[in-house]
Amino acid sequence: MIFAQERQQQQRFPRPEFESGYQTPTHQLLNQRGPMWEYADVAVLIAALSLTSWFAIKKRSRKGILWMSVFSLAYFGFYRQGCICSVGSVQNISLALFNNNYSVPLSAILFFIIPLIFALLYGRVFCAGVCPLGAIQELTGFRPVRIHKSVEAVLASIPFIYLGLSVLFAATQSQFIICRYDPFVGIFRLNAPFTMIIFGVLLLVAGIFVNRPYCRYLCPYGALQNIFSRFSGKHLTITPAECTNCRLCEECCPYDAILPSDDLKKTEPKEITRKRFILYLVLIPIMTIAGAILLYNLSPALSAVNSNVRLAREIRLEKEKGVPALSKSAAAFKESGKTEEQLFSEESVILGRFRKGTPWVGMFLGLSLGAGLFSMTIRKTRTEYKPDQGKCFSCGKCFEYCPIESKISK
Amino acid sequence: MKLSDKDIKILSGVSQVAAVFTLIVAVTMILGLIQLKVVNPLDSPSLALIKEQYDRDPSEKNIAEEVRAMDLLARRAYFSSRWQVETGSYLLIAGALIFVLTRRLIAGSEKPEPAFASEKPDIISQKKKYRVYLISAATIITVIAIISSFVLRGSLPETGVKIREAGQNTKEVKNAGTDALMAGSTNFPFFRGEGSRGIAGGTGYPVEWNGNDGKNIKWKIPVPGHGKNSPVIWGNKLFLTGIRAGTLEVYCIDKIKGEIIWTASASDFPGASKEIPDSDPEAGMAVPTAAVNGEVVCAIFGNGNLVCFDFDGKRLWAKNIGVPKSAYGYAASLLIYDKILIVQYDSDAKIAIKGFDLSSGDQKWETPRTGRPVWASPVLASLDGQTQVIINGNPNVSSYDPETGAELWSQPGLSGDVAPSPAVNSRFVYVVTDYAKLMALKPGKTGSEVWSDNTFTPDASSPVANDQFLFLTTGAGDAACYNAEKGDTLWSHVFDNPFYASPIICDDKLWMLDRSGIMYVASASGKFTLLAESPLGESSDSSPAFSDGRIYLRGKDNLYCIAKD
Repeated sequence: MIFAQERQQQQRFPRPEFESGYQTPTHQLLNQRGPMWEYADVAVLIAALSLTSWFAIKKRSRKGILWMSVFSLAYFGFYRQGCICSVGSVQNISLALFNNNYSVPLSAILFFIIPLIFALLYGRVFCAGVCPLGAIQELTGFRPVRIHKSVEAVLASIPFIYLGLSVLFAATQSQFIICRYDPFVGIFRLNAPFTMIIFGVLLLVAGIFVNRPYCRYLCPYGALQNIFSRFSGKHLTITPAECTNCRLCEECCPYDAILPSDDLKKTEPKEITRKRFILYLVLIPIMTIAGAILLYNLSPALSAVNSNVRLAREIRLEKEKGVPALSKSAAAFKESGKTEEQLFSEESVILGRFRKGTPWVGMFLGLSLGAGLFSMTIRKTRTEYKPDQGKCFSCGKCFEYCPIESKISK
Repeated sequence: MKLSDKDIKILSGVSQVAAVFTLIVAVTMILGLIQLKVVNPLDSPSLALIKEQYDRDPSEKNIAEEVRAMDLLARRAYFSSRWQVETGSYLLIAGALIFVLTRRLIAGSEKPEPAFASEKPDIISQKKKYRVYLISAATIITVIAIISSFVLRGSLPETGVKIREAGQNTKEVKNAGTDALMAGSTNFPFFRGEGSRGIAGGTGYPVEWNGNDGKNIKWKIPVPGHGKNSPVIWGNKLFLTGIRAGTLEVYCIDKIKGEIIWTASASDFPGASKEIPDSDPEAGMAVPTAAVNGEVVCAIFGNGNLVCFDFDGKRLWAKNIGVPKSAYGYAASLLIYDKILIVQYDSDAKIAIKGFDLSSGDQKWETPRTGRPVWASPVLASLDGQTQVIINGNPNVSSYDPETGAELWSQPGLSGDVAPSPAVNSRFVYVVTDYAKLMALKPGKTGSEVWSDNTFTPDASSPVANDQFLFLTTGAGDAACYNAEKGDTLWSHVFDNPFYASPIICDDKLWMLDRSGIMYVASASGKFTLLAESPLGESSDSSPAFSDGRIYLRGKDNLYCIAKD
């Protein structure tokens, strides 16, 4: 092995000697991070998740969670420059699942799985204090404003759509849209397309009032965290003891993630409840199938995300309608010697992949919607105010609103 | 943290200053970036003009100096703008950080004031409202999606892709695009399979076997004659050639049962050469691999005897095309394209490419080539929408029309003892030989070298490529993988023994057979992952053949069929 490395590194040609006296600079190699550092990142991730869980559930310290956010922003954000990132790892996993030639790094797998395991155990502690994207928004959101529930309901569906599409685009080897449109990575690296910096800054400014806008209305990994966290075994609670239903916390959550107590005193006729239950239960498979059909029908349009499909479309327009193909890709294609048949054949292959993938994404979206609606037909007895485990970011903002908390801490 | 009113006042002032500062920096940066976008110094019209003047008269030294000076100025202006933007971003971050920090400290010192809701929310009406919101949102999104599906459809093709199972007829290559790189799962008609491109079809091949203890060895039979050629397969029939007691022979073997169905002589026809020309002592007379289609099998030998049999062993025609004489003996394997048998003829006296009528044996065309004889074999490729025969010659890499023999293009290639056959994918042709280099060529009359490398150069084994990767194994025991498009070395590995057999890509794996008979199976990807290492139990220089989940290996003395038990 050492022999092989030596052979690779040998100088095949002597360096040129300049008559002008030019001094050849010393050859510098890029400092690459070794695999051990990747495992160190994983260790840091586990430690940060454990500490945040401890702060959120055992210690009940909002301050502790905030300091974890500061650490995560510094380490995973500015030091590691937003990469590796659990949010983006969704795409690595999707690509690896559908492409045998892609070898997914172990660290990417771990960054994808570990926060989900913690979500199953302790809720969205990853969002609370470990995710650098969440951390930067948490730290800048200091003037929370609650937005109307109707707007919240509409916007909250976007992460599921974003998740479905990002998996589809990665699996079809088209684009890593999560990374491409990551609003904060440009800030972490102090280098990004200008529009992305503007987008990131705008989100942060909006986030001063509408806290965590990316986490709530865009983050695809947040959608997964939302699903997993619903089943978490031990979740953060608003009150450290028994809830007295004082209602002081009712309006405190900027994310509208507090479920009020419901003693089922006020009821509606059982017949209406039963009919609605059956209706929404029947709607689940209908919505699942409708989603599959709708997305399948969208596959030609969605496939335009792929650069080869866009190029083929441009070349076809030029060929059939005489619209000149002037893009840089078109110029490069014409220089490459590749034939139009090859390009159109590639386009067909990509479109075929989209036709295979879109029904599954549609089914996921239809099922999510159907299940979401169905869950609203079920009413459970709830004697206390408690966090909505799917929506709650485990940020601990509600702690200090609870009079029992203040009493105990005193 | 508890803060006094005075502290809060100070922090508030600092935050306001930070906010104004951040705003000013942000506006300045935006203006700077707009300026850089609109008036890029590197795109200066006066610079372009002076460059044009210089292009018209490059001998004018004053203009050259002027170009240099203006170019330097433009670059200084450009990098100065970049510096301003970069410095600005640091200032922006610093300002924003101070603003956020101060505002957060102020917010943290404020005691939470719970809002006393007047009336407890009605869960039933709340849930009803939510359902309405959700259904409204879903309806809006669905309507947008439906409209998009019609509006954005554009000029995309309507039909989905149907992955074609190629390889049933070599003519299918003619109109194939990328799919031409796919091979059928049953037939393995030429040296290195379909089109002689080194890519085999099918799945479920075993990766582990042992010729010594019989693990996964379905059958093993001695091959009557000596030869270095590789198995070719059509349907259930496998063909080999060899020389036994001075007689050249073609063997037809039942690929399932492992029984020799018939043996036919290639030495006893009128006009047959009995000469045994000099050749490499290891190689011999039966180096070229036969070619088969659904009706006939054709074979050529080191003395120029060219024969063609039907599937029952009946000789259809036979002729001697001239005894080729060269340093290592004759080695070029045959190809069949439609109804034409293609022979790459290499001799010290003459080098050419010939086309013979498959049914009669009449020569349909002959195109002389220039240069020196080589020991590589031709490859059928589909490039630029045209089926071409590619030859790795010395000194040119050339392409010919398989129907007429007309030379399509020729580009400078390699020198020395050229033995590895070309590799092709949908875009490039790759040629390599030892003591020279590995080259990726853009095919065509206007094509040229795209990239080259001289780190890993096989002497006998041929490279293999798909659209992503190029793999090769060398006589020094190296295996290497390159990025097929850019030429970056993605991985390399040193094995214990040299390779003469050519690697094959099959079932997403790379199959590499070394001279000692050990098959190394690796993942056909840009990362080296060795999946298995299986010994045959005897040495081998022949390339493997793949068909219907079975692997066929010709060892020094025996033919092996390897399949899962």
